[in-house]
Amino acid sequence: MDHQKTAIHGFRVLVLVACATPALWLVWAWFNAGLGANPAEAVVHFTGRFGLALLLATIALGPAFRLSGWVGFMVARRQLGLWAFFWLVAHALAWMGLDQYWDWPWIWQDLWGLEYIRYGLAGLVLLVPLALTSFRAAQQALGRSRWQWLHRLVYLSAALGVVHFWILTRADYRDVVIYGAVLAALAAFRLGCAVVDRR
Amino acid sequence: GALDEAPGSGLSTDEPLTSLDDITSYNNFYELGTRKRDPSDWAHQLQTDPWTLSIEGEVNKPGEFDLSDVIRPDELEQRIYRLRCVEAWSMVIPWVGFELRKLLERHEPTDRAKYVVFESIHDPDNLRGQRRGIIDWPYREGLRMDEAMHPLTLLAVGLYGKPMPNQNGAPIRLVVPWKYGFKSIKSIVRIRLQEERPVSAWEAMSPEEYGFYANVNPHVDHPRWSQARERRIGEPGRRETLMFNGYEEEVAHLYEGMDLEKHF
Repeated sequence: MDHQKTAIHGFRVLVLVACATPALWLVWAWFNAGLGANPAEAVVHFTGRFGLALLLATIALGPAFRLSGWVGFMVARRQLGLWAFFWLVAHALAWMGLDQYWDWPWIWQDLWGLEYIRYGLAGLVLLVPLALTSFRAAQQALGRSRWQWLHRLVYLSAALGVVHFWILTRADYRDVVIYGAVLAALAAFRLGCAVVDRR
Repeated sequence: GALDEAPGSGLSTDEPLTSLDDITSYNNFYELGTRKRDPSDWAHQLQTDPWTLSIEGEVNKPGEFDLSDVIRPDELEQRIYRLRCVEAWSMVIPWVGFELRKLLERHEPTDRAKYVVFESIHDPDNLRGQRRGIIDWPYREGLRMDEAMHPLTLLAVGLYGKPMPNQNGAPIRLVVPWKYGFKSIKSIVRIRLQEERPVSAWEAMSPEEYGFYANVNPHVDHPRWSQARERRIGEPGRRETLMFNGYEEEVAHLYEGMDLEKHF
């Protein structure tokens, strides 16, 4: 029993370190010219890619639990999901502040004028109710089945993120295809489980 | 040498230069990889010595020439140009080179020469980017004859007074400062004059995004992003993009009467 607790605790610490360290590195690199010729772009790209990767990792914890039976994966799910949200909010703020330089008329124009921005923003906005209801009290207030239904929106949010990334890609689609394939595999696994469970 | 002693030019801008470090570490040169850092990381894969340039098609004096026969030291100038990438970033680069028209005139274009086609090196054995079919290799670009003969149009062989770094398109590349950067084809091995309008590499891949003319134009957005503003590398924030990248006075007459929304 103690061994089990230690393993879960260790996994949670691992998630914390994995999700927080890149933020410290990014801040350090920003102030030490470590981000190359276009640091604003580097921050926007890194936060977006890492945030989307964490969102996919959060989704993957369900299948990981199902396949391994190890409860630690489920215990860390809220924590990882909130980190994904944190990184994707940072991504949006980096775009507004570092890339657009808080030029509100321009931000506004791009929000309505550019398709990829709309998809990205929609994906992020969808995560807001998920983040707000990620706590136990909200889960109990909603009831298990409504809460689960709501939190399936994470697939839609990740899909919007992949579309956002796809539209922005120039010629070399390798990276975005990997993100898309991982999401497709996770969604297929989830659907497969639903079919099996119904029998 | 000829490169660091090349005289300045009245066609240069006096804007502050982008640093050599930024110019040589933030590149689009898909032959060496698609990330901005790839071309500098893999620059050694580009073999530039010996280098043969083929000049062919509608010219009275075609042939294959060693690079040293193409470059005339007394024709070299330093030209400080703005470079505006289609991805909405820009730099100010002190090129060393000579006017393309001088080379073309030496080879005597015929009356049928209406367009100039350029082709980059094709060497998939050495260039890692060319082992993937991201672009239909080799990279191709083209200019209308009057664009090619414009005094701003440069064949650059160096920058910052030194031979052209591999990642910037050694040993010889085109620089057309009023057009998006992808028109300024790197590492040229073939120049062909012809009557028909060519299709450039990006245009072949995505004609609704990359037109043949590709003139810098803040009023015509790329279908996926805005071209109204740009990030000047090394500078915080964004600045407004200028018509023809600020070379309107020099080149606007080339496009008189043309609908630039249609011929983008």
